[in-house]
Amino acid sequence: MRPLFHLLRLWLIQLRYAATRELAFRANFFVWIIVELSWFALQLAFVDVVYHHVDSIAGWSRPQMIVLVATNQLIQQIFTAFLMPGLMKLPESVRDGKLDFVLLKPAPPQFLISTSHLEIGPVANALIAALVVGYALQELHVKPDLPSLFLYCLLILAGLLTHYALLLTLVSLTFWIVQAESVLLGYYSIFQVARIPREATTGWFRFIFTFALPLLLVANIPAATLLHGFQPGPLLLFLLTCLTAALFASLFFQLGLRRYQSASS
Amino acid sequence: MIASLTALPTVFSIGLQRQFAYRWNYLLRALFSAMPLLVSWVFWGAVFHGKETVGPYTLASLLTYYAVLLVVESVSSPADDDFQISREIREGTLNSILLRPLPYGLYRGTLFLAGRCAYLVAALIPVALCFYLLSQVVSLQLGTLDLARGIPALLGSALLQFSLTLCLSFTSFWLLDISALIFLVYSMEFLAGGHVFPLDLLPPSLFQIAQFLPFAYEYWFPAASLCGYLSHSAWQFGLAMQLGWALVFLILAHLLWKAGLRKYTAAGG
Repeated sequence: MRPLFHLLRLWLIQLRYAATRELAFRANFFVWIIVELSWFALQLAFVDVVYHHVDSIAGWSRPQMIVLVATNQLIQQIFTAFLMPGLMKLPESVRDGKLDFVLLKPAPPQFLISTSHLEIGPVANALIAALVVGYALQELHVKPDLPSLFLYCLLILAGLLTHYALLLTLVSLTFWIVQAESVLLGYYSIFQVARIPREATTGWFRFIFTFALPLLLVANIPAATLLHGFQPGPLLLFLLTCLTAALFASLFFQLGLRRYQSASS
Repeated sequence: MIASLTALPTVFSIGLQRQFAYRWNYLLRALFSAMPLLVSWVFWGAVFHGKETVGPYTLASLLTYYAVLLVVESVSSPADDDFQISREIREGTLNSILLRPLPYGLYRGTLFLAGRCAYLVAALIPVALCFYLLSQVVSLQLGTLDLARGIPALLGSALLQFSLTLCLSFTSFWLLDISALIFLVYSMEFLAGGHVFPLDLLPPSLFQIAQFLPFAYEYWFPAASLCGYLSHSAWQFGLAMQLGWALVFLILAHLLWKAGLRKYTAAGG
């Protein structure tokens, strides 16, 4: 238990340091909120355009689809705030040898890399996404009970773990490929799957994106929990697959780390 | 000016070598760019369930549009030219380029061309594979492809995107970090450019507005021209708008460059 508290304390210190650094560029903070909001508006506009032509997609009505898209946005923004900035610095650190300084510190490198940076803007965007979820639920006249809300929060954490597992795997490719900046494009491309209703998929697509890369569960399961209440089967499946993905990603990172040769002189 | 043109083949060759130095990065980029097509196939398959058409599209014609969009993107979209130019201005490496007897726009244009050629080579197999796999599940409407109208629209799109990139990059003379601006314009290009869905799926009034914005001529117009979905008069109007916007951005880029250079301070050894 003690090492866990030690890591938590370290994380809080890193958060405080990263927040101070972020607040040095206040204008940047507001500009990025607008940028991220414009991408969210784009997704909502897409939903509106499609539902301009149809009433339902795979049994999902327009407000239900908004719950799905906004839940995905909520998870993605929390991830972008706390874990993604640190992970995205890894390719550069490997290339210029700055990873040496991380490896010299008396804490697990994966933890230090993942929590080294913070972006505050996405926290505001996550709140806006939560408001959109609330608005869509009101339009549906759905009032989730307390256990459903608690489960929703738990599943958001599971979604974060899935995002983390995928991006950690992608950035770990940097130990093999010198310039791995394309991983960001890969991350955003692959995560488009998370916005599709699971019922819209069949066959190998559904199998791969449920069991191998559980992206179809990331936003679908939390959204379905809010809309339809507790469903034990999908919930257990999601928890199991996201933990497996995180374990695999961590092993892949360790494997890559063994190949690391300092680039500094 | 004429003498400086002799240097362009060398710049092009350097550009190609620079791109192929990171071939894995390119291959990954090309592979990942096919992902939206896969997502579109699954998502629109569900939208079309029990329906023959959505707006003016059948499932086959819509997926043909998305597949052709991959080609448009490969040929005309700048990779990270905007960030490269911004870095050159911010870090002062622009100094060494300013000393060369070569107009900067021409130098950048040649590098852009080299980048597109390198990317096309890298993307060729993944894009061909996408077309093949998609044609196994949907009968793509490749018979209606209109190269005579599509290729000019494609080249116009490359010119438009390059000129817009120059404008955005040159704001680095005044702004410390332009990444937010670039991502903001990306989002507009995705929505109003027809990247997420063909613009003629928009309600008619919004479609009218979109046709007067430059973004429509980056993706939607070349893709729809290549697919053969536009009437001759619509194509002529589109080409005129596309070249008009490209000219506006080229003039704007020239003005920004002139004003920026007056402000630029070359520091460091």
